Amino acid sequence: MRFAFTTEQREFAAALRALLANEFPASALREVWDSGTGFSAPLWEQLGDMGVLGAMMAEADGGLGMRPIDTVLLFVELGRAAVPGPIIEHVAVAGPALSGTPYAAGVADGSTMVTTALGGSPYVAHASAAALILNDNGVLSGYAVTPVEGIDGGRLLGVVSGGTIDDLVFDAMAARLRGSLAAAAYLVGISEHMISVAADYARVREQFGKPIGSFQAVKHLMSDALLKVEFAKPALFKAAWGLSVGDGTAALDVSMAKALASEAAYRTSRNTMQVHGAIGYTWEADLHLYMKKAWALQRAWGDAPSHRRIVRQHVLGI
Amino acid sequence: MDLHYTTAQDEFRAEARAWLEANVPGQPLPSFDTAEGFAQHRLWERKMYDAKWSAVSWPVEYGGRGADYISWLIFEEEYYQSGAPGRVGQNGIFLLGPTIMEVGTQEQKTAYLPSMASGDVVWAQAWSEPNAGSDLASIAATAVRDGDEWVLNGQKIWASRAAWADWCFGIFRTDPAASRHKGLTFFLMPLNSPGITVRPIAQLDGDTGFAEIFFDDVRVPDANILGELNKGWSVAMATAGFERGVSLRSPARFTEAAARLVTLWRTHADKADTTLADAVTDVWIQAEGYKLHTYMTVTHMLDGGTIGAEASLNKIFWSELDVRIHELALQILGPEAERIDGPFERWVDGFLFSLSGPIYAGSNEIQRNIIADRVLNLPKGA
Repeated sequence: MRFAFTTEQREFAAALRALLANEFPASALREVWDSGTGFSAPLWEQLGDMGVLGAMMAEADGGLGMRPIDTVLLFVELGRAAVPGPIIEHVAVAGPALSGTPYAAGVADGSTMVTTALGGSPYVAHASAAALILNDNGVLSGYAVTPVEGIDGGRLLGVVSGGTIDDLVFDAMAARLRGSLAAAAYLVGISEHMISVAADYARVREQFGKPIGSFQAVKHLMSDALLKVEFAKPALFKAAWGLSVGDGTAALDVSMAKALASEAAYRTSRNTMQVHGAIGYTWEADLHLYMKKAWALQRAWGDAPSHRRIVRQHVLGI
Repeated sequence: MDLHYTTAQDEFRAEARAWLEANVPGQPLPSFDTAEGFAQHRLWERKMYDAKWSAVSWPVEYGGRGADYISWLIFEEEYYQSGAPGRVGQNGIFLLGPTIMEVGTQEQKTAYLPSMASGDVVWAQAWSEPNAGSDLASIAATAVRDGDEWVLNGQKIWASRAAWADWCFGIFRTDPAASRHKGLTFFLMPLNSPGITVRPIAQLDGDTGFAEIFFDDVRVPDANILGELNKGWSVAMATAGFERGVSLRSPARFTEAAARLVTLWRTHADKADTTLADAVTDVWIQAEGYKLHTYMTVTHMLDGGTIGAEASLNKIFWSELDVRIHELALQILGPEAERIDGPFERWVDGFLFSLSGPIYAGSNEIQRNIIADRVLNLPKGA
């Protein structure tokens, strides 16, 4: 029994965190929103160079051969920076499914961007940015996208039509589990970022002649958010380990992790917005770029109620 | 990361389970907050001590097994699953004991630890005062030096187990000129010392689980100071860290209670009420989450890490979880939840007890302040 990451796993995540802190601050995320492209081409290239985009693909395909336990901290970091584009879909879901296929090399280095349509939504996220869509039948290319306006400018939505399907047999259940896990990790990272931003604000914003962070009502909003996030993390890490070693309860653990992370992220968005006061309700403050990603991802890959029902089936049999 | 138990850990679990199966009383003991129940629980502590189960994580020389935290968690899981009695010695074994091991002299370790592990000396905690509750640092009880002794005066309150305990550990002001946290000292003394009057207080459940303690020129030798003179606050905070952190409320308590709730749901709940089913599932998930959080924390500690203010996160989590588990049980029980004498007595008692959790060991509001100040580095309040 050893519930800790290896030095290697932590160092890779720390390197990614450093890269994103330098290369992708909130101003860069705002530029992506303003550009209307839904992703950042230079950042995508840097993530490809670092090996992140093919991290979970076989080494023979140009990937790093990493398992969920090796990459879960990477998704926390990708979430901390709210990296736009199909990062979950490409890295965690489609990448491993396309290992060993003719698509593999392009997906591993990122030159071919893939998104997925496995979630049951009529709207496909990132379809306009990506060249390929992995759906339950295989790999779709040459499709048309009718955009719909989504809440998150880093996650463009569209209705997909036409295109050519290249049949592919893959484990769609396992792919969905990887998507739910990566989304849970991403939500933990984004939550930690929102807490950090709100704590910074509470230290400098003054009312009644004092920083608002000195008031208990504000402290408690912040502590309650942190509490939710801290208690989602161990469940997330256990699920990542379970998927990696084929543990018997891995699917259940993923559902627990996604339920806890979704609720933590939503509670964190509410509390950190409240701490910001009126500025938190503006387009100008960066907080909304992160909150909206959290709101989108709390429902993508299964929302908390649907994952709780999966656990309910296991625990109560109904 | 490897969340499988080792063979040695599995064997340890089997050994604990076998002993508990053979020795746990068939009938629940009366509450340890009654005279009769206290005596019976003390005998149970002695029985565990004789088999070296009373303080498994303690060093062998003081009556433990030198088990690491993981093994201790395994023991706790088996302990609560077996339906074994509550731990009347918990203030000593889980709070004061670890503190003595950290800051005590060799003489103090030898003098206090074995009798604590055996249940021969049951300890009460004497910290709060009528005007020092959440604001613990405003302690007014005093200790004045007289030769190689100290003379203690003042009043303590909410002293858990004090009605029948043998000794107490308390914090007294030894330097009145120093402000608040400074000038406090941590003392150990027998509750039958001349000048001590214990007045039990009936709790919400009617039992006398805590008491007031009046000190009237109580003489305590210099050797009974734990830690350094005027450094009692930091000693107390070490104890509080154990109290709020992993040791006092191991996750097994809550995973066991959540499992009992699931059983109660199966036997008594309206299965068509999916809102209730979702709520039961939610506390089951929370209990699992707490367990996983604890395993992660103890791995961190085994790697040489410490837990500081993060212990306050634990305290809020387990205390609110405990209330939620019992609220749902009472909801399922419906009219039966109004009875305190029937077959569901344990749930109703447990509900009343759970309500103390968000208050004792530092109210959850204070814990939220601690998290904000020391984990999130927000500015101190007024």
